[in-house]
Amino acid sequence: MGLLEVKNISKSFGNLKAVDNASFSVPEGSIFGLLGRNGAGKTTTIRMMMNIYLPDSGEVTFGGIDAGPDFNSKVGYLPEERGLYKKMKVLETLLFFAEIKGKKGRNVTKLAKEYLKKFDLADRMNSKIETLSKGNQQKVQFISTLLHDPEVLILDELFSGLDPINTNLMKNIILELKERGKIILFSTHVMSFAEKMCDHIAIIDSGIIKLNGPLADIKAERSQRNISLNYKGDISFLRNNSMIENISDHGNSVGIRVKEEKHIQELLKLLVNSDVEVNKFDANDISLEDIFIETVGQEVAEEVKYD
Amino acid sequence: MINYRVIALIRRELREKLLSKAFLLMTILLPVLMFGIFGVQTFIMSFDSEKNIIEIVSSSNDIALNLQSIIAESHFVKDSTIIPIISHMGKSKFDEYIKTKEDDLLNEKITGIIFIPESALIDKKIQYYSRTPKNLRLLERIDNPINQVLIEKYFKSKNIPVEELKYARLSVDISSFKISKGEEIKEEGYGNLILSYLFSFLLYLSLIMMGSMVMQTVIQEKSNRIVEVLLSSVTSKELMIGKILGAAITGLLQMIIWISPVILVASTTLFVLPENLTIDITFIQVAYLLFNFFLGLLIFVGLFATVGSIFEDPQDAQSGMWPVMLLVMIPFFISMSMIENPTNPVASIASMAPFAAVIVMPAKMAMVDVPLWQVLFSTLVNILTVIAIFPIAGKIYRVGIMMTGKKPSWIEVIKWLKYKY
Repeated sequence: MGLLEVKNISKSFGNLKAVDNASFSVPEGSIFGLLGRNGAGKTTTIRMMMNIYLPDSGEVTFGGIDAGPDFNSKVGYLPEERGLYKKMKVLETLLFFAEIKGKKGRNVTKLAKEYLKKFDLADRMNSKIETLSKGNQQKVQFISTLLHDPEVLILDELFSGLDPINTNLMKNIILELKERGKIILFSTHVMSFAEKMCDHIAIIDSGIIKLNGPLADIKAERSQRNISLNYKGDISFLRNNSMIENISDHGNSVGIRVKEEKHIQELLKLLVNSDVEVNKFDANDISLEDIFIETVGQEVAEEVKYD
Repeated sequence: MINYRVIALIRRELREKLLSKAFLLMTILLPVLMFGIFGVQTFIMSFDSEKNIIEIVSSSNDIALNLQSIIAESHFVKDSTIIPIISHMGKSKFDEYIKTKEDDLLNEKITGIIFIPESALIDKKIQYYSRTPKNLRLLERIDNPINQVLIEKYFKSKNIPVEELKYARLSVDISSFKISKGEEIKEEGYGNLILSYLFSFLLYLSLIMMGSMVMQTVIQEKSNRIVEVLLSSVTSKELMIGKILGAAITGLLQMIIWISPVILVASTTLFVLPENLTIDITFIQVAYLLFNFFLGLLIFVGLFATVGSIFEDPQDAQSGMWPVMLLVMIPFFISMSMIENPTNPVASIASMAPFAAVIVMPAKMAMVDVPLWQVLFSTLVNILTVIAIFPIAGKIYRVGIMMTGKKPSWIEVIKWLKYKY
């Protein structure tokens, strides 16, 4: 076990610089979120970590040792584009993927059956993959990333296409693995998941890491003079107010930055006096969504919101 | 090179291939089918127009009478495949006669009319009138008795005894003896020729079958995106080796199943073959054939897998695999040409050339005594071919299987070789 480090990796495809000198590190027992829009370079970064692409420059190390085939066998990897052998049976599939990671035997079979039970798939054990629904196939693939008891989990767009119950199930398993000291890295463009789960984040845009560090620190740094507000009513009058530096509207909540510390109390007073129903008023708090938009630019606000 | 990951991959390939319906069907049905085709052919031939009514008109009464007696003895009359009607009339009368028979010939009431003019005794030229005058099988059967009658008639006036005529009529019957170093001279039949033909055919079939099977699975893994999951656990080299070895083992097993009846027949006295069909093959030769076949599988399955990695769509791959197909087909045709002339110089070169050696050498060995050094050299060429193509094929495979989107051109594929991956 140890630190998972990505040091100055770059990758170009022809003239396109997909990843440009990216560095970040993930300590053991933590959850890391690699955030970015579509095409920002998340998947390329992850593929380089998995040795699927060879970086043009830079390196990936785990516990100080260069990541190679041995590292790969300690990783559970869920690619963004899922894929299973359609004609293989569920249990057979799971055992095969464990076997190429070097794990086989009665214990693995037992564990596989336990996981299938947990995900409500025990009765489909001997069904062919092609007879399963997409969601169930997704679950089988997720189990296959866990079965060999990996030290590192790398999950590309983990939650895409899952219903809330299964999302929750996976979330709990991930948190449980974190408790056991595993490293979990996932990429997403859904900020709400990342905000709830991540200890560390990196924001990547156009192949460049724009922001990187513990989520709590990043938030603390940016939450000065920032208010996270839930409300009912009309706040359009704030737009031209002299104490407001910036407003970002996220639908049911809004992020407001004031120019000076003392303006926070004045803003609350103003809202109450203007008959706005204040449901939540968090001073010195900022949502990850606000941080993301601030980092990668306002023009992507719409895209992120509706994803 | 071979570790637990490769073994797991091979096992999966074997499980998938050996238990597939296609494999079982091909392995069991092919021999049945091949014998079946022979059977059907014989069956169809036995049908061959039972009511062939042939009129034979001779301008000489003598010839007509002689024909009558000789043809009555012929087996095709006894089998009643040909019903001859023999008569005699002069040339001018025949010309009118043929006009009256035109309708019968057109309706095929009569298959044909043969006219033997007086001049046949000088130049042996006879005429055949029919709606389908190129029925060779039919004519082949009937021209012998006619020839016999003409010869007898011609020599009768020359006072030559019938026995001597018989001798003159015999064709030369060649018995082939094979001279081999350090072995007794023995008579050689057609057994080895048939064996060589059969083995070349099976080799060709199996290489193409295994090759395209692997190509399909590579394309499938690529388009299903399974390959990315696999590559997170195994290297592309391991994946390729696992695939090729899996297919090679499957192919070898299939070949053993196919040729074991032949070996059984050759090595035991349980089955008595007609003398001119005996098979002369040793255990070492069989072992060599299988080893050579295994090398062939490595080479060609490797090439097919590489082609598969380039394409995402099976249809594109079908059109993209022609260079590899040619590498299998040309040597196959060279092998076939050796049946006419086993010492054909093109075949001699091909039997030691990269890619072709795999297919041509076994066929050559079955027919002529190939010096040991040539066999070893051709094996060496095969091994070197494997060593030479794998880094290139592996590189294309490495780049290709992660490449999606537009169908690449051959120039792009060559550029891939320079990629750092």
